[in-house]
Amino acid sequence: MKIVLIFDQGLAGAGGKSNPNVGLNAAKGGIGSALMLESHFAKIGATVAATLYCGNEFFLNNQEEVVTKMTAMVKKVSPDFVLCGPCFNFPDYAKMAAMISASILEHTDIPSCAMMSVENADTIEAYKDQTPIVKMPKKGGTGLNDSIAALCELISATVNHSGDVENIKSRICY
Amino acid sequence: MMQKLEKLLMPIANVLSKNKVLSAIRDGFLITVPITIVGSIFLLIANFPLEGFLNLMTSIFGEGWDAYLGRVSAIAFDCVALLGVLSIGYCYSREKGLDNRIGGAVVALVCFLIITPQKAFVTVEGAAEAASFSGFQFTFLGTAGMFLAMIVAIVSVEIYAWAIKKKLIIKLPDGVPPAVMESFAALIPSGIAMTIFFVVGIIFSHTSFEYAHYFIYQVLQTPLVGLGKMAGFEVIYQFLSTLFWFFGINGPAVTNTIFSPIHKVLTVENYEAAQAGLEMTNIFTSGFSDFFCNFGGGGSTLGLVIMMAFLAKSNRMKTLGKLSLPAGIFGINEPIIFGLPIVLNPLMAIPFILAPVVNTVIGYVATVIGFMPVTMGVQLPWTCPIIFSGFLVTGSVTGSIVQIVQLIIDVLIYYPFFKLLDQRYLEEETATAGQTDEIDDLSFDDLGLD
Repeated sequence: MKIVLIFDQGLAGAGGKSNPNVGLNAAKGGIGSALMLESHFAKIGATVAATLYCGNEFFLNNQEEVVTKMTAMVKKVSPDFVLCGPCFNFPDYAKMAAMISASILEHTDIPSCAMMSVENADTIEAYKDQTPIVKMPKKGGTGLNDSIAALCELISATVNHSGDVENIKSRICY
Repeated sequence: MMQKLEKLLMPIANVLSKNKVLSAIRDGFLITVPITIVGSIFLLIANFPLEGFLNLMTSIFGEGWDAYLGRVSAIAFDCVALLGVLSIGYCYSREKGLDNRIGGAVVALVCFLIITPQKAFVTVEGAAEAASFSGFQFTFLGTAGMFLAMIVAIVSVEIYAWAIKKKLIIKLPDGVPPAVMESFAALIPSGIAMTIFFVVGIIFSHTSFEYAHYFIYQVLQTPLVGLGKMAGFEVIYQFLSTLFWFFGINGPAVTNTIFSPIHKVLTVENYEAAQAGLEMTNIFTSGFSDFFCNFGGGGSTLGLVIMMAFLAKSNRMKTLGKLSLPAGIFGINEPIIFGLPIVLNPLMAIPFILAPVVNTVIGYVATVIGFMPVTMGVQLPWTCPIIFSGFLVTGSVTGSIVQIVQLIIDVLIYYPFFKLLDQRYLEEETATAGQTDEIDDLSFDDLGLD
């Protein structure tokens, strides 16, 4: 099972707040925070095919371009699932993730979800009907491991058409 | 094993970081930090660790110039309980969901002052008996009153919030300005809280303790602060703080609920000792915790970041190291916590937890054997870079030397783990360089949009 990750510059390991204007980038395999997801992915037989990322300010200044190009790139890689997150409580990244995931679901046949903490209330409210948004703790909050496990349950059920996807969504998504 | 540990730690983290009382105390002290830092700067100038500087100031401003600076540092340190009761009262009002938070804070302050001794005695040389005057003494508004301040803030706001929830308020007709409405609404709740503390004050005056200050100081503050004077105190704090971080939980946010009041008292006790011309004895002050245990953020990752920037062979680590180094020098390591990553990365858990503990032991030993002086009562911003911070917080170059030694040891602790991860990333990079598939050619530059 191939997964594509959509990150911001912080999670991609391309610098944190000091480097917000990184343009669109694609890396083969998982980079940065992918390492904390990969052991969970292995349990459901999933690997990270590619990581796509850009800086949070670059996104804010070029929202349409970022969403369109990310969607096109996902289409080109054609993975089994796209994870836009985990966004913790980073507001710009959460908005970017929700918009890209919604766009992927609208314009391609590839399943996708976003993942963020409850602090991004405005984004969740605006996009939760257009894309599944998996619950997770804020940065430094408790339950990160559990939320990644829940995410894997959703990915596995969606890709393998096993289990009651709607039921899982209602349990672990906003 | 890791899963079991997480199962054990999660509920503790939940209880500690979500407990309203502990959060209010932790956040309340955070509010006082800017005041303490500014006060520390005034204190540092008045006691700057260079004789030449002090002589220069005297030659410009004349004898006694430092007394003016002392007026500012005295408020930051000698009134620490007073500031604490107000800010904790405010934070607890927030936790209780009160609209009028400043109302709660003011009630907490007033209740604290009601039970604080309002008469002081001074012995004048040559006089037959001690003279008394009306007024508050620094003694009761400073460290000695700190734990009482926490208790009073929580209890008084609890009473205040209870009365408001029970609608024990005076309602004015519509059309009255909101500020007037709010102040009348607070009247009965404030009255109840103040009356209760009035009674508490009377009760204590009939005991051998005389004042609540003496009681809390003896039965609660002395034993708890005593823990902070034990050799293992800081090691436990550092160990727990990083252990939580490794699971993605903000460690200090959890541990500070318990440890920060003790750190604060230990720090201000050193200040008070210095002001009184006595020897400073507390090792584990906020300054020690901030500047001799962690360099470059939690887990003391500065050594790792330096290696990443200059020794890494994999592009990924080298790039991230160079990007993270400037922030790392100022104690911020968010880029690598998530970018390397350290969170949920079992390989990095060992040095991440070990390095601060080893630093603590080195700092402790260096202080005990007298190589480095005890840290002063000053509190600097935790972003103050290594070497400068060691000098300023101890007033001695040996402080900087200890920091350099600690940094070198951190490098050695991280080295094997750094090599392993670097090797792994390098292998990934070279492996993918050899075999190409369509994903290698991924580029947003030539992306066809349809």
